[in-house]
Amino acid sequence: MSEHRFTLRLGDKRYPAQLAETPDPPRILYGIGDPSALVEGLGVVGARRATPYGLRCTRLFAGWAAGHGTSIISGAAIGCDREAHLAALDAGGNTLAVLGCGPDVDYPRRSAPLLAELRRCHVVVSECPFGQQPTRWSFVRRNRIIAGLARAVLVVEAGLPSGTFSTADAALDAGRDVLAVPGSVLSPESRGSNRLIRQGAIPITDVGELAQYLGLEGATPAAGDVAADDTLRALVADPMRPDDLARALGIDIVHTARTLGALEAAGHVVRYADGRYGIR
Amino acid sequence: MQATVATTTLTGVEAIAVEVQADVSPGLPVFGIVGLADTAVQEARDRVRAALRSVGFDFPNARVIVNLAPAPLRKHGTGFDLPIALAVLAATGQVPRAALDDVTAVGELGLDGSVREIPGMLAHAISAARSDRDLLGPISAGRIVGVVPQLRYRGIESLARMKGGLPATAPPKTSRAQTLAIPTIDVADIAGHESAKRGLEIAAAGRHNLLLVGPPGSGKSMLARALCGLLPPLTEAESLESALVHSVAGLDPRQCLDGIRPFRAPHHSCSVAGLVGGGTPPRPGEMSLAHNGVLFLDEFPEFGPASLQALRQPIEEGVITLVRAHGAVRYPARVTLTAAMNPCPCGYAGDPQRECRCTDGAVARYSARVGGPLYDRMDLTLRIDRVDPALIIDDAPVTPLSATVRSRITTAHAFAGTRHPCSMRSQLQADARALLEDAARHANLSGRAVTRVVRVARTIADLEQSVPIVVSHVAEALGYRSWDAT
Ligand SMILES: [Zn+2]
Repeated sequence: MSEHRFTLRLGDKRYPAQLAETPDPPRILYGIGDPSALVEGLGVVGARRATPYGLRCTRLFAGWAAGHGTSIISGAAIGCDREAHLAALDAGGNTLAVLGCGPDVDYPRRSAPLLAELRRCHVVVSECPFGQQPTRWSFVRRNRIIAGLARAVLVVEAGLPSGTFSTADAALDAGRDVLAVPGSVLSPESRGSNRLIRQGAIPITDVGELAQYLGLEGATPAAGDVAADDTLRALVADPMRPDDLARALGIDIVHTARTLGALEAAGHVVRYADGRYGIR
Repeated sequence: MQATVATTTLTGVEAIAVEVQADVSPGLPVFGIVGLADTAVQEARDRVRAALRSVGFDFPNARVIVNLAPAPLRKHGTGFDLPIALAVLAATGQVPRAALDDVTAVGELGLDGSVREIPGMLAHAISAARSDRDLLGPISAGRIVGVVPQLRYRGIESLARMKGGLPATAPPKTSRAQTLAIPTIDVADIAGHESAKRGLEIAAAGRHNLLLVGPPGSGKSMLARALCGLLPPLTEAESLESALVHSVAGLDPRQCLDGIRPFRAPHHSCSVAGLVGGGTPPRPGEMSLAHNGVLFLDEFPEFGPASLQALRQPIEEGVITLVRAHGAVRYPARVTLTAAMNPCPCGYAGDPQRECRCTDGAVARYSARVGGPLYDRMDLTLRIDRVDPALIIDDAPVTPLSATVRSRITTAHAFAGTRHPCSMRSQLQADARALLEDAARHANLSGRAVTRVVRVARTIADLEQSVPIVVSHVAEALGYRSWDAT
């Protein structure tokens, strides 16, 4: 096996400093991959049974943050966790997984290919020793490590009740900000995240707000410019119809139409006879 | 002995006053009708004679001449039956002449003396109300004419009823149904088609003409029906106008009276007269039946050059003028034209699933059938594609509720009415104008295309209740311009 296993003790020079300063840091951190990748990042958590909305928001925000140099920290579970890791990988950014079992254990099984890639190119850590199977409580304990490694935790979608709340609580215990993506007031899958906002979480309604929070790109990029960048990037691969583009970027159709119109007027994109847009 | 009974006859959607004068004099028994009467009016003789006898009145065994005045006005239809019968009855003293002084009568007679509805009852009713006369007609029309304000309606089921003098006036009806059952498709029920639905919202808000281009089965007619559902219910005035056209055409006007916007979708085999009106006597066409509503023309290029040519003037003016030997007839025709066409003769150009086998020349000829002047009148062109079935299942939360969209449209429409009607170009902000100039350069927009983009951008600004047209409004409007305009 070419995978690189490591063990970090509290007090080691390579033990992540931001985690060490939390009230209840793990005494030993077991990991596979590159320990120097344990940098401060953005925790992204959400429901395992995510809706298409939750998945799109996850992809939008995690992908954008990773593409702009922020590491994405999540739990490799199905649903939002998985989407957050994949979006970060697709954006060519850093991402790391914190497990509730040994870092070499493939749990959940469906995440095995993702975990393999993270162990090979990034890093997977846990406070459980190698080979240890998950227990019910190990996941709740795990959440405080996600929060501790992150500078803030973004809750993309959470119903009520939700395991995501323990991550939010852990974030507050560790003195981290909680960010939340609002959802429909009619959707049970959004009640948890909406409640977090009511309780004081920072609402994130577009990438501009996330950029501002993370202090990225010096001056705050206007949302329109970000959409334009993403649009151009999406169209490089393949000409697309506005509907498909809006879906891929997770932005609404009016915003998409306006971005395309402005790009076309500026001569960056062209519209084909069949209604698709492509790079000029 | 002579007697006169007032009636009205249709010209366009108006009922014009006509006097029915009957002269009964001794001599050989003849029954003649003079005064530019068409065949249907001439046939009134047989119906009137049979009807009088079968309900127990006498038909005079004398010389009976009926004159319809004014003589130069062409009279047509069966509505003269009742006034002719009443004039004969009054001239022969079987009905008191004074009873008919303040009455206008219209209606067709059956051989058994029954009084029947004729096309245009609403028009006759409006004319009677305007001239402050009582309308005497078939009792069955009461529920429709009841909506006409200030009308006194006296309905009879049979000529026999006249033996007891004039019937009482019917109480006016409440005009509208309490609940609106809109028989259209709700945008919220349409999965996918996000750009198209946005386009429909803009078209509905600005009453813009719309061209839908896409392969067969991609949902074009469904979207056209959804557009009709996005328009707010007819106002009282609009609903009377639309009902009037339906009534004149002999169709049931009750849906219009209930505020439901007309949706007409004639087949492309429809004749020119069927589409814009015509014939003798003149009859309103589909375009007038769609007045205040949506006229949907599927397979647009198949309508043929004569029909497409005939559409142009009414689209511009909102009214159709038919010129006839005895004067012009006008029908209202203010419609939101929604046309649909395939992108090419085979239908599959640009379809990701099926291959188009048309030559470039064939595609160009197909598109040219509609012609530049008509394309120029389509403010929005939307490309429609089949929605991936996977999305239909996934897509639930994206579309706002149709009630939300409809209220935005109503608000935008009201806002457009209140903003200062200065020139649209002057409302363009500097950066919006700059964007438009860039687009004209990069996408080769014609002058007319620029005008249309500005018009659509104006509606988009109205949807946001913005007086200035800002750059994002223009950017969005650029995407709705037609393909051929580039
Ligand atoms: Zn073809």
